[in-house]
Amino acid sequence: MNIDLASAVGVTIGLLPEVVLTIFGLVVLLLVSWRHDGVGDLRLAGWVSLVGMLASLAALTWLWVWEARPMNGPNMIVLDDFRFAAAALILIAGIATVLLSLTYLEREGILAPEYFVLLVLATVGMLFLAGADDMMVLFLGLEVMSVAVYVLAGFQRGSAFSAEAALKYFLIGAFASAFLLYGIALVYGATGSTSLAVAGAAFNRGPLPLMGALGLAFVLIGFGFKVAAAPFHMWTPDVYDGAPTPVTGFMATGVKVAAFAALTRVLVGTFGAAGDTWHPIVAALAVFSMVIGNLVALAQPTIKRMLAYSSIAHAGYLLAALVTGSTLGVTAVLVYLLAYVLTSLAAFGLLAVLGREGERDVSLGSIAGLARRRPWVAAGLSACMLSLLGFPGTLGFIGKWMILLSLVGQGHFMIAVIVVLASLVSAGYYLPVIMSAYMRPEAADSSHSEIVVSRPVAGTLALAVLLIVVLGVWPTPAIETAMASAGSLYDGIVAGVHHALR
Amino acid sequence: MTSLLDLIGYDRWILHVLLLLPLVGAVVVSRLPSTQAKRGALWVSGVEFVLSLGLWWAVDTAPGTLQLVSEYAWLPRWGISYAVGIDGISLFMVLLSTGLTFLSVLGSWTYITEQERGFYALLLVLLTGMLGVFLATDLFLFYVAWEVMLIPMYFIIGVWGGTNRLYAAIKFFLFTMVGSLLMLVAIIAMVWMVGRATGTYSFAYQHLLDNRAALDGIAPWLFAAFALAFAIKVPVFPLHTWLPDAHVEAPTAGSVILAGVLLKMGTYGFLRFAVPFFPGVALGPVVSQLVVILAVIGIVYGALVAMVQPDIKKLVAYSSVSHLGFVMLGIWAATVQSVQGALMVMIAHGLSTGALFFLVGMLYERRHTREIASFGGIAKVVPVFATILTITALASIGLPGLSGFIGEFLVLIGSYTAHPTATIIATTGVIFAAAYLLWALQRMIFNPLDHPDNEQLSDLTRRELAVILPLVAGMIWLGLYPKPILDRMEPATQHYLEVISTAPIPDTVIAHDAPARTQVEAR
Repeated sequence: MNIDLASAVGVTIGLLPEVVLTIFGLVVLLLVSWRHDGVGDLRLAGWVSLVGMLASLAALTWLWVWEARPMNGPNMIVLDDFRFAAAALILIAGIATVLLSLTYLEREGILAPEYFVLLVLATVGMLFLAGADDMMVLFLGLEVMSVAVYVLAGFQRGSAFSAEAALKYFLIGAFASAFLLYGIALVYGATGSTSLAVAGAAFNRGPLPLMGALGLAFVLIGFGFKVAAAPFHMWTPDVYDGAPTPVTGFMATGVKVAAFAALTRVLVGTFGAAGDTWHPIVAALAVFSMVIGNLVALAQPTIKRMLAYSSIAHAGYLLAALVTGSTLGVTAVLVYLLAYVLTSLAAFGLLAVLGREGERDVSLGSIAGLARRRPWVAAGLSACMLSLLGFPGTLGFIGKWMILLSLVGQGHFMIAVIVVLASLVSAGYYLPVIMSAYMRPEAADSSHSEIVVSRPVAGTLALAVLLIVVLGVWPTPAIETAMASAGSLYDGIVAGVHHALR
Repeated sequence: MTSLLDLIGYDRWILHVLLLLPLVGAVVVSRLPSTQAKRGALWVSGVEFVLSLGLWWAVDTAPGTLQLVSEYAWLPRWGISYAVGIDGISLFMVLLSTGLTFLSVLGSWTYITEQERGFYALLLVLLTGMLGVFLATDLFLFYVAWEVMLIPMYFIIGVWGGTNRLYAAIKFFLFTMVGSLLMLVAIIAMVWMVGRATGTYSFAYQHLLDNRAALDGIAPWLFAAFALAFAIKVPVFPLHTWLPDAHVEAPTAGSVILAGVLLKMGTYGFLRFAVPFFPGVALGPVVSQLVVILAVIGIVYGALVAMVQPDIKKLVAYSSVSHLGFVMLGIWAATVQSVQGALMVMIAHGLSTGALFFLVGMLYERRHTREIASFGGIAKVVPVFATILTITALASIGLPGLSGFIGEFLVLIGSYTAHPTATIIATTGVIFAAAYLLWALQRMIFNPLDHPDNEQLSDLTRRELAVILPLVAGMIWLGLYPKPILDRMEPATQHYLEVISTAPIPDTVIAHDAPARTQVEAR
């Protein structure tokens, strides 16, 4: 299905998932401005948001199945399977977050249905970020997402940590956006266009001009902040730790998917010809992130903070997959993102379930003996830890394996070895979680028996864990889809350059 | 027997059933009522063992190549399949795994009193993992089985182990993982290099083996990665430090499986993968010298350290380091006798050390101590136990007529021509073994009965005899009439030596051994 993105109808069809979700976002906004007290209204807003996300997912599937492609170019948005795959991951993260938030907000007494408006709008921003083919759209998407997430991070108004998280995230996020914007300006200066395809075609003609190289550096810094790659990671632990746990899960998954989708497109699309310039930089960021994230995670007293540092390490693995810039590398990014999204959502969801008196305090000691009282919670947590560790039999392993496959295939042995050694270090903090849940005796004052898992939460978590295991054993559908999506990204880039030159 | 097996199509389904049955069994056992878990596990492991016995007849060991091979695509894009096969080397490892698991279930009957369902389910999952390692003919499947097996053992040590179990469990896990992750990188590198050279990207064992010439450039690195993974598992000195902790802290069944089967995965890995893939590196002068020196150090060091242990379980654990040193020496001497000897040591060690751990565990259940000094003269109180312990210890020492002798003897005569000095030093290991075991025996069962606690010890029950007597029978059989086993091993050993001889062998000779040779002679 070829779509003329220059026409109003065409662009509406091409943006159908975003349009649908925006409409639902506005509907929820109207709804909550009208009815916003009590648990009933909170639930209503949540369920309407869920319907919106499902409708958006349906629209997305429709575009995906009918192989929507742009008729001409250059355009403001892309239509390729890579965008659809990333958008699907974002929507999965959004849907799961809605389901996990419902009970959480009630339990924590955060009876403000605006939460769901922000969640939906943040998701819209992510979808734009993942689908942008023009740096202005990319920046707008990033800002819509970021502003909504800043507020979400500070949503627990009674908690000083939540306020701290929001302020920190806002200040550093604004700083990062400025870097990104400056980078975009420099790229525009070098090529005379904000279109990713046109700029890419311009860079294709010869060696990267100095202004283009500076633009690349600033763009990388901006994205480095957003994906929480070292050395731009300083904000991550406090923000992840302070934000309400479902929001942390949403930040760790949705933001990462959207930012990585955009980063991948910018690097292999616009700067594809300048690979020699950015390969070593991305490699260095990857190594830094893996080493710092994993080593510091070892020393964290609470599980939430440990997961925050480990998310830095996971950004490192994802950057390592990008180092090669090959189709296989992009495939690895997608597979790893799928694994990371499912696993992190489940992990943070379980953490929210466990943290009855504030999940910031859930430590190894407080989950001791969990397996005796709540065997399924303990089993789910263990599966998540093993998947994050990259253990065979889980989807996390397939992700790591794809990354290694892409690295070794291009001869990057050193980085491959660093990836596996970093994984080994990560065993040092993932395993103690399992160990504590299964092997330590329950503390006398433990309150495991008070753990309540509501039905939507249980269903979401069970499905996520099941997918982690099933796709870990039989990953062919995931790999084939990712493969096709990565191929589509490259086809789109070639077509984009073609359109730009014509 | 063969016709009966043919009748039921045994060779078509057996390997898959062996891999699947324990997994299904684990699910069933974990759903049974807690008191029924051990009965369920006994049934599953019993059926598994009986089924696996058919392999003795069904595997045609004469060609020396992999038999009963079958293959189903798993991840076709990367040439990954669920591919299994068995030969005269893995046959005995499979029988050892199924047999020891069955006995371990029986041996844990009264030892494990908490969370029984979990324990027995994990034991069955462990069995699938072990069989996966021994049967896999696809490197991806092999890697997955190799890693997955870690989890049940980690839990078995960590949940049902002794006082220091958490430390031992995580040490075991991390040590094994260091090696195996680097091995994963090496496997992927091999597949890429062979794929580039041949155009076929595949994790199939035979494909990689046939095209190992493509690996020449970085073969030393790849070998190092494989060797590290396997050497940790064996364990080769100085990578053995996880072993005493894991063996001592693990519950009896865990120690038995660890010593009986898991250690052999390391030596099996060398025989099946590391040496055949990179014979030029592995048997080259530098690596060869290094391995032989480390093996000899392991033999002597393990024995000497065993001698001074106050804890009988730790003594048995260190004796494993010593015995496995013989296996490494035998593999690196690379003669028919030495490799067969290494395989025999692997089997004999599985039987005798397994039995020793069972006996130690039985003693521990009675006295709740494993300190040698707190026993003495118990032969008068528990004569049957003392007799069996003596037989087992003698088998472990290598007394002619019992299982330990034949393997170590073959290793020593097979290695003498290649490494005379090392062999002579290794021989002292046999003497030290006699010293530490006999000395321990003397202190435990002979000296005067000076601890009043020991006067009330009860002798072995019928269940305990059922656990231990099959192992004793195995030791005697192996010692008196090892011919059927050696006959089944020899073609596989010959084939292995042909594969690792660095001179290129034409395909025809491997495929049609006998006719090709006649043609050469006729010319």
